[in-house]
Amino acid sequence: MNLTKNNRTDKNRKETFFKYLFLFCAFVAVISVFAITFFVFARGLKPFMPWNDSGYSLIDFLSGVEWRPGSDKFGILYMIIGSLLATIGAITIGVPIGLFTAVFIAELAPKKIANIVRPAVELLAGIPSILYGVFGLGMIVKILTKYSPNAQGQSLLATILVLTIMILPTVITMSETAIRAVPSCYRDGSLALGASKIQTVFKVIIPAAKSGIFAGVVLGIGRAIGETMAVMLVSGNPIAGIPTSLWDRVRPLTTNIALEMGYASGTHQDLLFSTGVVLFIFIMIINLALNKLVHNKIK
Amino acid sequence: MRKAKDYLAKILIYLSSFITVGVLLAIIAYIFINGIGLINWSFFTNEYNDKTYYLQFEANKLQLSDNSYKDNIPYTRNVINNDSEPLYIEELGGAIIESKKGSDIEFIISYVEKSSSMLEAKDRRGEIVGIKEGYIIRSINGENIEDKNLEEISNIVGDIQGNIELKVTNPGNGVFTNIITTLYMILLSLSIATPIGILAAIYLVEYARPGKLVSTIRFATESLAGIPSIIYGLFGMAFFVVFLKFSLSLLAGALTISIILLPVIIRSTEEALKAVPDSYREASYGLGATKLQTISKIIIPSAMPGILVAVILSIGRIIGESAALLLTAGTVSKIPENLFSSGGTLTVQAYYVAKEEANIEMACAIGIVVILLIIILNLIAKLISKIFNKANY
Repeated sequence: MNLTKNNRTDKNRKETFFKYLFLFCAFVAVISVFAITFFVFARGLKPFMPWNDSGYSLIDFLSGVEWRPGSDKFGILYMIIGSLLATIGAITIGVPIGLFTAVFIAELAPKKIANIVRPAVELLAGIPSILYGVFGLGMIVKILTKYSPNAQGQSLLATILVLTIMILPTVITMSETAIRAVPSCYRDGSLALGASKIQTVFKVIIPAAKSGIFAGVVLGIGRAIGETMAVMLVSGNPIAGIPTSLWDRVRPLTTNIALEMGYASGTHQDLLFSTGVVLFIFIMIINLALNKLVHNKIK
Repeated sequence: MRKAKDYLAKILIYLSSFITVGVLLAIIAYIFINGIGLINWSFFTNEYNDKTYYLQFEANKLQLSDNSYKDNIPYTRNVINNDSEPLYIEELGGAIIESKKGSDIEFIISYVEKSSSMLEAKDRRGEIVGIKEGYIIRSINGENIEDKNLEEISNIVGDIQGNIELKVTNPGNGVFTNIITTLYMILLSLSIATPIGILAAIYLVEYARPGKLVSTIRFATESLAGIPSIIYGLFGMAFFVVFLKFSLSLLAGALTISIILLPVIIRSTEEALKAVPDSYREASYGLGATKLQTISKIIIPSAMPGILVAVILSIGRIIGESAALLLTAGTVSKIPENLFSSGGTLTVQAYYVAKEEANIEMACAIGIVVILLIIILNLIAKLISKIFNKANY
C-alpha cells in the first residue's frame, strides 16, 4: 500500500542515499588504515627531520644499544634484536607443537577427543594476553628463577615460552583448516599405495596443506612480534645490552612503547612513536607476505 | 624401520596435543588457585582504593528490629572464622563485629538498621556520605579504638552527648569501578563499531562489484586485522588523545577499540549475509520490493543470528583488550563521570596490579572473572550458531 503512495523519485533518492551511506561505512576501514599510518609515522619521523632542532639522529636511534631517556640516549638496536630473537624462538618451538596438534585434531583423534581439544584451543585463543603475562610472571618466571644463573627469572627464555603458548591457537587453527581442505582422494590414494597413516600425513597431507600452514606461521609471527602486555611482565626490560644468552633480559619494541608512554614527553615521546614505526614496518612486511601467500593459495 | 618411525611420529603428535591442552589447563588452574581466595561478594562491590572519611550523625536510640541480623552478616573478610559475634549498639542503630586481619583487629560494621541515622551521616563539609555495612571503624569522636573491645566501644558510644563522629574506612581491594568502566567501554565501542561494521558488510556483499574499490577495502580490512593493538594504542594516543584533545578518556579508548573491532564485525557479518540464499533476494525482488527494502526487511532479519554472534565475539575482544586501552583510556580506578574521564577496564587493572604492585593474587582474581565471562560469551555464541544452523534454509 505504502509503496504505491510513495513518490518514485523520492524512493530512488532514498536508495541512492543508503547506497552511499553503506559505501562510506565500508570506506571507514580504508580511512582508518590511512589515518593510523599517517599519525604514527608523522609523530615517529618527526625527531629525524633535519629542520627539527631538538631531534635525534636516525643512525644513532637504529644502531644504539642503550635506552637512557635521562641522559638523552635512545638506541633501539638491542630491542630489535630482542624482538626478533623472541619471535624466532617462539616460532621454533610453537610451530611444531601447533602443527602436530592440528594433525592430531584433524587426522588422528577420535571424534570425541577432537571435540574436547578443539574448544580447548578456542579458549586458549580467547584468554586475554595480560593473563598469559600473569601466568608467565607467577609460574614460568618463578620456576626459571630457580635455574637461572642470573638473579631474576625475567629473561629471553621466559619471553619465548610465553609467546610460544600465545601463538599456539593461531598456528593450530590455521593448520587444521588447511589440513581439512586437502581433498580426501589424496588420502585414499596414498593409503591405497600401501603408505601408513603417519606416512600419508607427513608425505602427502602436510605438503598439500603447505601454503595454509605457512599462512598460520606468518600470522603467528605477527602475533609474537606485536604482543605487548604479556611480554612486558616477563621480559625484564633492561635499559641496555644486546641479549647474548637465553637467560639475558630483553626489551622488545612493543614493551618499550607501553612502559614509558605514560610519562614520556617531547622528543622522548616522539621516539617512542619512532619505535612504533619500526614495529609497524615489521608488521607491514609480514602482512604483505601473508597477502601473497593467501593469493597464491587462491590461484 | 617404518614402524619405528611411525611410532616415533605418533608419540610426538600425542605429546604435542598433550602439551597444548596441558598448558591451557595449567593456566586456568594457576589463575583459579591463586585468585579464588579473593573472590567474594565484596570483591565485586568494593572499589579498588580504600577511602577514609570522618562522618557525623545524630545518636540513635533504635531498638533492634530483627534478631536474625546475627546470621545475616553481609560483609565478610575471608577470615570470617576469626570474627566475633556481632554486638548491636542502640546509639549507632547498627551492629559491629570484631575481625582479626593478620595480627590487627578491626571493627567492622556488620549490620545497619533501615532507619538508622548512620545512613545519613555527613562529612565535615556537610555532604551526605552514609555509613554502610562493611565499613571499618577507626576512631570514635577522635578517640582511638584499636586496643578496645566491643563492650568498651559500646560504652564509649553510650557516653557521647550529641553528635557522634566516626572515622570510617570504606575498604578497597575490589573491582567494582573496573566492572563499571568495562561495561561503559563495551556499550560505547559497540554502539560505534557495530553500525559501521554491519553497513560496511552490507555494501561489500550486496552492492559491491569486483574491482579496484572493493579490493582496496578488502586489503584495508585485512591490514587492520593484522595491526597489533599497541600500534592502535599509539594511533589513538596521537589522534584522539592529543590531536582531538580528548585526553586519556573513555571516549578515546572506545573509539580506538571500535577500529580494532571493525575487521571482526565486517568479516563475520559478511559471512552471515552470504549465507542468506539468493532465492530470498529473488523472491523479494519478484514481489516488487526495492533493494533497500529487501536488505532491511529480508536479508538483515535472516542474517540476524550471525550478526549477533559477531557482536558477542566482539564483546570478548573488548574485555580482553589492554595494550591499546593503556595508552588511550588510562589506568585510573574510578567510576568515569563522563565520556572524557579516564578509567581502567578489568584487564587494564589486572595489568596495573601485576606490574605496578606485584599483586599476582589480585590479578588472578580479575583473571577468573574475565575467563568466566569469555567462556560464557563463547557458549552463547555457540548456542546462537546452533539455532542459526537449524534455521530452515
